[in-house]
Amino acid sequence: MMINRQAIFDVLRSIPDPEMPISIVDLGLIESVDVSGSAINVVALPTFVGCPALEMISRDIEMRLGRLPGVASVNVRWVNDPPWSVQRITDAGRAALREHGVTVPETGSRLEVHGAAGATVPLTVGAAAVPCPFCGSTKTHLDSPFGPTRCRMIYYCDACRNSFEHLKNV
Amino acid sequence: MPDLPEHLRKPLVNLLLAAADDKLFLGHRNSEWTGLGPILEEDIAFSSLAQDDMAHAAALYELAGSIDGRSADELAFGRTPEQYRCAAIVEVPDEFDWATAIVRRFFCNHFDLLRLTRFSQSAWKPLSDLARRLVAEQQVHVQHVDDWMVRLGTGTPESHRRMQGAIDAIGPLATELFEPLDELKSLVDAGLYPGSDFTMYDQWTGAVQHVLGQSHLTVQFDIGSPDDRGGRRGVHTQYLAPMLEEMCEVYRLEPRAAW
Repeated sequence: MMINRQAIFDVLRSIPDPEMPISIVDLGLIESVDVSGSAINVVALPTFVGCPALEMISRDIEMRLGRLPGVASVNVRWVNDPPWSVQRITDAGRAALREHGVTVPETGSRLEVHGAAGATVPLTVGAAAVPCPFCGSTKTHLDSPFGPTRCRMIYYCDACRNSFEHLKNV
Repeated sequence: MPDLPEHLRKPLVNLLLAAADDKLFLGHRNSEWTGLGPILEEDIAFSSLAQDDMAHAAALYELAGSIDGRSADELAFGRTPEQYRCAAIVEVPDEFDWATAIVRRFFCNHFDLLRLTRFSQSAWKPLSDLARRLVAEQQVHVQHVDDWMVRLGTGTPESHRRMQGAIDAIGPLATELFEPLDELKSLVDAGLYPGSDFTMYDQWTGAVQHVLGQSHLTVQFDIGSPDDRGGRRGVHTQYLAPMLEEMCEVYRLEPRAAW
């Protein structure tokens, strides 16, 4: 019996990220899915190196895909090439995150290193205006460059006085 | 790893261990601040930074282990003190002095960014793939610590005095980060660790002096030449053994336990 690729993606889209209110597909974690016979091989990208949620995600994928008819084995492999970046988050993912009070940087990835470290300009982490996900105001400021998980920072909106989270631009 | 020539394996493992050991102990020292940070945001920051550094160390240990067959746990916790390759600056306690904690991170973070950048250009793909991710995370560390250097260096007379005092006290240990490793030239020649230590040293002093200038802080010690204290050869301060003892307590109860 052929394993239906559409069914595989439907299952993957139903798996939420343990730390983010969107699916692992919308977060851009899934790089490729390969079906050979009754085996499914999934290649996935970690958001942060050594993210503590990786094992949980692997287990979720293996368990849920393993329930599909005709599947004998599921293998999940984490790789760093290509590197994950916030650019991989889908539009649907961005919208869902915004609804939950989490914003995503719009600008390009900062993965390139520009010359010597001396070129790094201090005080830039929160320099760009980040629109508030609740009221849309750009009168916001960085409250904490680190947050509840390694990939998030905390902002505060001076207009509607809500705090919200912003993904780090990596 | 079949694609690595035999004679390059040992020097490469040595290089990866030096990088991982620096991160492991810096991370451990910073994790001691969890719950004790001067403000809530920095409590979160230091805990996150420590978690990052530990994760970076784990990934580098895993890579080293893929070459010589040891597990990441074994490499992190299963060696005797003289088998570690870290520099003294990550070993000494900061006595919960915030200025010392920031200044230590400042020197180490800039060094790590440059070392990881060289890793990211390595001809050995597993290393360059991993390092590209680590560089992106390390940039966040550098921005965070540069921010604090400027804030505290230009803050109040007291904050300036305490930052300068911390630089005078712990700063002289920083140049040991550049102590030459055994057989490094073979790795450079093979493109596994491209670039040169001299260039990296210039970049590091340039970066450090640039931020110090903005912070109205100065180095009174000789920052111009690498120190040869012996950390990269396994000669360590009195602080390493007790720290290792504390870190390994649980591991030694049952080395084969699954976490």
